Amino acid sequence: MKKLYIILLTLSLPLLMGSTQYSYSFYDDVLHAAPGMTYATYFNATRLDAELRSPEDLTVFDDVIYMVDSSTNMLTMVDSGFNLIDQIDTFELSQEYEAHLIALGDNDPQPETLNSPLGLDVRSSGIYIADTSNYRIVKLNHDYEVLDIFDHVDDVTFDEMNFEPRKITVDVAERMYVVARNVYEGIIELDSDGTFNRFTGVNPIQLNPLEVFRRSLMTEAQLAQLQRYLPTEYTNVDIDHRGFIYATSRPSEGSAENMIQLINPKGIDVLRRTGYHRPMGDVHFIEGENNYVTTGPSLLVDIAYTNNGMYTVLDQRRSRLFTYDREGNLLYINGDQGTQSDKFREGVAIDYLGDDLLLLDRRTRTVIVYQLTDVGRAINQATAYHDIGEWEQAAELWREVLRLNTNYEIAYNGIGKYHLRNGEYAKAVEYFELGHDSYYYSKAFQAHRNGIITDNFNLIMLGIVLLTSTGIGLKIRKVYKAGGSIMYDD
Amino acid sequence: MTTKLKTLKQHFLSFPKYLMVHPFDGFDDFKRFKKGKLYVAITLIVLFMFLRIYAFQYESVIINPNNPQNLNSLELIFSAGLLIMLFAVGNWSVTTLMEGKGTFKEIFMVTGYALFPVVIIGFPSIFISNFLTMEEMGFYHLMIGISYFIAGWMLFMGILNIHEYGLGKTLVAFVATIMSMSVMMFFGLLFFDLIQQFIAFVASIYQELSLRY
Repeated sequence: MKKLYIILLTLSLPLLMGSTQYSYSFYDDVLHAAPGMTYATYFNATRLDAELRSPEDLTVFDDVIYMVDSSTNMLTMVDSGFNLIDQIDTFELSQEYEAHLIALGDNDPQPETLNSPLGLDVRSSGIYIADTSNYRIVKLNHDYEVLDIFDHVDDVTFDEMNFEPRKITVDVAERMYVVARNVYEGIIELDSDGTFNRFTGVNPIQLNPLEVFRRSLMTEAQLAQLQRYLPTEYTNVDIDHRGFIYATSRPSEGSAENMIQLINPKGIDVLRRTGYHRPMGDVHFIEGENNYVTTGPSLLVDIAYTNNGMYTVLDQRRSRLFTYDREGNLLYINGDQGTQSDKFREGVAIDYLGDDLLLLDRRTRTVIVYQLTDVGRAINQATAYHDIGEWEQAAELWREVLRLNTNYEIAYNGIGKYHLRNGEYAKAVEYFELGHDSYYYSKAFQAHRNGIITDNFNLIMLGIVLLTSTGIGLKIRKVYKAGGSIMYDD
Repeated sequence: MTTKLKTLKQHFLSFPKYLMVHPFDGFDDFKRFKKGKLYVAITLIVLFMFLRIYAFQYESVIINPNNPQNLNSLELIFSAGLLIMLFAVGNWSVTTLMEGKGTFKEIFMVTGYALFPVVIIGFPSIFISNFLTMEEMGFYHLMIGISYFIAGWMLFMGILNIHEYGLGKTLVAFVATIMSMSVMMFFGLLFFDLIQQFIAFVASIYQELSLRY
């Protein structure tokens, strides 16, 4: 039996080697890496015995997976064992909303349907669907009855164009954060009753000095003919338990560095980018037209927050998933483009179901479930311990990570931090040098150096005194040998 | 023996220091009394090349983004040597037309002597940088900045004096030198590109012939 397993595993080796897991080192090298997550299972319309034609968004709430489909206009619910709960395309009105409509003068309110919905979010307050081609947001309760419909945004932006919500997320105060098509002002914040609050997280545009000078020489007519510099559109939003918004946007012209943002309640990007590279998906890519490889920076279309500050982004262009921690360290990369059941072609949405990551592929109409590998679990746990300041447990797990993946440089910093807290500065310096964390290296080194100086202060002072007195003594000797005198005389 | 050491000290330390603080008198001695020595200039240039390698490898890890595996000492040496030679040749060709009194050897020596502060400040600074924390790195950057500033000063004063120019004319000469350097680089690249294409052409003819017959 064991032999059979070995033979089968050997035969499957070429398949496993078909995709190489990688990561980026401090020195920008692409290094082989042990995968943080791996394919566990999948489900699609056939497996669910349901209808999925063009699924657009997926979200998990209370162990139930919700999906919307822009072709069948249905809301699909799947439980955590990946069995179909229900598929709904017609939504009855709740009693309050019906009464509200009747009070407004509508004598025969009809059940509502959706028209190409592109996004949804589910919270305890209800199910929010971005009903894109109906230009509205539909809010359902957990019995799938319509609670409210928000189809009017009171802002000048929408005087001239339709409000086409694409993605939505909702915070604990039931404020809705909406990404709408052709809106460059930022993320639309709507109050719980649907009134427009403000735009938040505006992507700032900066012209370089040359451009400013060039523009200052142009006439109005010439300026009007120029290509407009528009801030990039957001592609997706997610919210964490503190009410901070994780947002992804398209790469802007010539810069792919601010594609991921963490927007605080004040509307300012506070994402920490202290890792080896800025969080931006793939660090290396080829610019320009090329017939052989995919070009351009990652196209991030969804972001999923898990816990302890970790978040995963989905790159649709190369079908990859990048997981980062709170500091902006790239923890692991997984996912692969292809048509096998563990690969995907056109990922549109991701979300976490517990520790498992669900990925929705629009082209193959499949949800792929990724689970943590040993090294991925160790990394996640180490990050969690690190987050609550349990340095010792974290260091142990980082050692385990290093055993599983020797190329994992971040782990050295985790161990270094433990030694730093423990007062073993020389060791900490060594580990921070390996982990290339100059900030903590500097801290540990300072403590180490000052410790040495304090311990040997007597010797050092003695040395300085001896050296100077020897120097002065020699000088005096020289003066006397030459027949002079050090005494003052004129 | 001691007199020899004293002459070496005079040539390698005292005189360059004198040039630094008394540029007019110093470069007058340099030119008229042949106090500038070619071997000193060459030694300083070699030390400067070595400094670049040393900095690449041994700058404090806090500020050193270089991958030690990417250390290419030949590249560092040749880029420094090329820049110095380009400057010397460029300046010589320009100042010959602008009635400069300096010879090529003098221009080359001035360039070498100008690297004196970079070398004399650079080595200890890089050594000390390994004992500094991130906050104290400002001092290191300041020292390196000062060393290059003084180098620029010495180069400027040296060129001014050996060609017996005024201030304005020296500035013009420097601008013209930079232009001539870029022209030379352009021709160099053009030349290399053409040669490369020519070699590829000959190689393909040879390949064609050898495959046929």
